[in-house]
Amino acid sequence: MGGAVAVELDVFNNLATGFAAAATLQNLGYALLGALLGTLIGVLPGIGPIPTIAMLLPITFGLSPLGALIMLAGIYYGAQYGGSTTSILANMPGEASTIVTCIDGHQMARQGRAGAALGVAALGSFFAGCVGTVFIAAFGPPLAVLAQEFNSPDYFSLMVLGLVTAVVLAHGSVAKAIGMVLVGILLGLVGLDTNSSLPRYTFGISAIWDGIDFLPVVIGMFGIVEIIRNLESRDLHRVPVGARLRDLWPSMKDFRDSWPAVLRGTGLGSLLGILPGGGAVLAAFASYTLEKKVARDPSRFGKGAIEGVAGPESANNAAAQTSFIPLLTLGLPSNAIMALMMGAMIIQGIEPGSAVMTKRPELFWGVVASMWIGNAMLLVINLPLIGIWVRLLSVPYRLLYPAILLFSIIGVYSTNTNVAQLVITAVFALFGYVLLRVGCEPAPLVLGFILGPLMEENLRRALVMSRGDPSIFVERPISATLLGLTVALVALIVLPQIRKTREKAFQE
Amino acid sequence: MPRVRIKNPQDFGAAAMFVLIGLAGFFLGGDLEFGTASKMGPRYFPGILSLLIVALGLGLGASSLAVKGPRIEPVQLRPVAVVIGVVLLFGYLLDIVGLALSTMILTLVAAFARREVRIVESLLLGAGLAIFVVVLFVYALSQPLPAWWGAP
Repeated sequence: MGGAVAVELDVFNNLATGFAAAATLQNLGYALLGALLGTLIGVLPGIGPIPTIAMLLPITFGLSPLGALIMLAGIYYGAQYGGSTTSILANMPGEASTIVTCIDGHQMARQGRAGAALGVAALGSFFAGCVGTVFIAAFGPPLAVLAQEFNSPDYFSLMVLGLVTAVVLAHGSVAKAIGMVLVGILLGLVGLDTNSSLPRYTFGISAIWDGIDFLPVVIGMFGIVEIIRNLESRDLHRVPVGARLRDLWPSMKDFRDSWPAVLRGTGLGSLLGILPGGGAVLAAFASYTLEKKVARDPSRFGKGAIEGVAGPESANNAAAQTSFIPLLTLGLPSNAIMALMMGAMIIQGIEPGSAVMTKRPELFWGVVASMWIGNAMLLVINLPLIGIWVRLLSVPYRLLYPAILLFSIIGVYSTNTNVAQLVITAVFALFGYVLLRVGCEPAPLVLGFILGPLMEENLRRALVMSRGDPSIFVERPISATLLGLTVALVALIVLPQIRKTREKAFQE
Repeated sequence: MPRVRIKNPQDFGAAAMFVLIGLAGFFLGGDLEFGTASKMGPRYFPGILSLLIVALGLGLGASSLAVKGPRIEPVQLRPVAVVIGVVLLFGYLLDIVGLALSTMILTLVAAFARREVRIVESLLLGAGLAIFVVVLFVYALSQPLPAWWGAP
C-alpha cells in the first residue's frame, strides 16, 4: 500500500515495528475471533457498536495488552460492518452512523442487488481502513509532538469543542442535547473529589465511591433500553429481510461507479475523524451529502445509488480509524466508542496519551497495525460468510432478546464481579427509558460523563495557573484557536439558514 | 388570566427532569466547600453545572408552553418492569445459585416481557444458553463467575 502514498521512511519503519509485534499467529487468531464475534453481535437488529463492544469487552480481559487491543479492534470493525449489513438487508440501523447506509443500501437490496451493496461496503471500508492506518502512522507522531505543547487551558478548550460538536451532531433539540452533556458531566463527577479527597454525591454507597463505572451506564442506557424499545414496538417481531442474494460480487459497472465515491469518502472521513466529538456519524452524513452534490443525476439517490453506499461506508470506516488519533496522542476520547476503547486500555494498564508513543512504541504501533489487521480480517470473513449473517437476521426477536440481555448482564458483572454494578445498570436503564420518553439522546450524556472529571481537573489547574482569571483561555494561542472553532460551530447552528440544512440532512 | 397549557409535553417532561437533576446536584452537595475560582472547592464545578442545568430546564420549560411539539408516548409497563426486573433478579441470584441456574431463570422470566409466552421454547433456550455461557465464561475464559451454587 506504500507505493501509491508518499510516506516517509520512518513511518514505514514504525509500521514495520507494529506489524512485527502484532502479526503473530496468536494475535491474528485474536483479530479473527474479534472480527467474527463483533460481526455476529453487530449484525443482530437494534444493536449498535457501543453495546456490542461493551458486551464483548470482558472476553479480552485475560489476554496480553496487545492481544486484547487487537481483538478489540477486530470487534469494533466487525460490529460496524455487522451494523451495515443489517442496515442494507433489513433497513434497521443499529446506530446513527449507519442510518445513511439504509437509504440507498436497502433500496439496492430490494432490487436484488444486496450482494453488490454489501460487497462495495466491505471493499470500500477495507480501502478506507488502509488509508486510515497510513494516516494515523503519518500524522500520529507530529500530533503527539503538538500534544506536548498542550497545557490545562488547552485541554479544557479542546473538551469544550468536542462537547459542542457532539451537541451539534445530536438529533433533534439542541437545548436538550446541551442539557444531556451537562447532566453527563455532573454524573461523571460522582465519587471522590481528586483534589480534596472528599466524597461527592456518593450517599454512603461504596460501589460509587470511586465514581460510577462506565460499563453499567452504557449497557443500561444503550443495551437494555434498546431491548425494551424493541419489545414495545410491535413490528419488530419478525425482521423484514428484503434480500435476494443473486450474486455477491459487485459488477464491473458497480466498481466504476463507486470507486470515486470511495476515494472521496475516505478523504473526507479521515479528516473529519480527527475532530473531537466527530467520528463516524459526522463522516457518513457529510459523505452522503457530498455524493449527492457531485452526482450528475442526484435524483437517483434514495433509489439505490451505489455511490450512496460506497461513499458513507468508506467515510465512516476512515473516520472510525482516525478518531483513534486524539485518543492515542492526547488521551482524549472523541466519542462514546473511543471512551470504551480508553476504558479497555486502562484496564490493560495502558494510560492513553502521548507517553504511549514514546515510552511503549511497540504497543502504539502495534495498535495501529492491529487496526489494519482487523480490517483485513473483516474482508476475509465477511465476503464468504454473508450468507450466514443473512440467515442470522431471520432469527425471531423473541429468541434473541433473552440472549442479548444475558450477555449484557454478564458483560457488566465480569468487569469487577460486583452485584452492585447490576443495580447501577438497572438504575441507568430506567433513566435511559425516561430519556427515551422525553426525547433526549443519550450519546451526548455519555461523552460528558467521560470528559467530566478531566474537564474539572483541567479547569482547576488552568485557574490556579492564572490565579482565577478566566482570560487565560483566550490568551493562550492553542486554547484561543480551539475556542474560536467552538464559537464558529455555535454560530453555524444558530444561523437559521444553516440550521435548516442541518435539519434537512438529518431527515434524509 | 389565560389558562397555561403545555404545548410540547416531551420538552416539558425533559425540562422538569433537568430542573430536578439540577436542584438535586446543587443541594445534595451537602456541606462541601464551594471555594473560589483560583482555589476551586469540591463543590465549585458541580455547583455551577447544577445551576446551569436548572437554568436550561427553566428555559426549555418556558418554551414548551409556547411552541407545539410531540406528546409523550404511553409507558408500556410490562417490558419495562420485566426487563429491568430481570437485571436485578440475575444479580440477586448469581451468588446464590450460580451462573447456570441464573441463566435458566433469566431466560424464563424474560419471556414474560412479551404477551405470548412459550414456556417450553424458553426452557429449551435457557438450557442452551446456560450450557453456552458456562462453557464460554467459566471454563474457556476462566472469568470469576460461579458456575453452580456454593462455588467460589
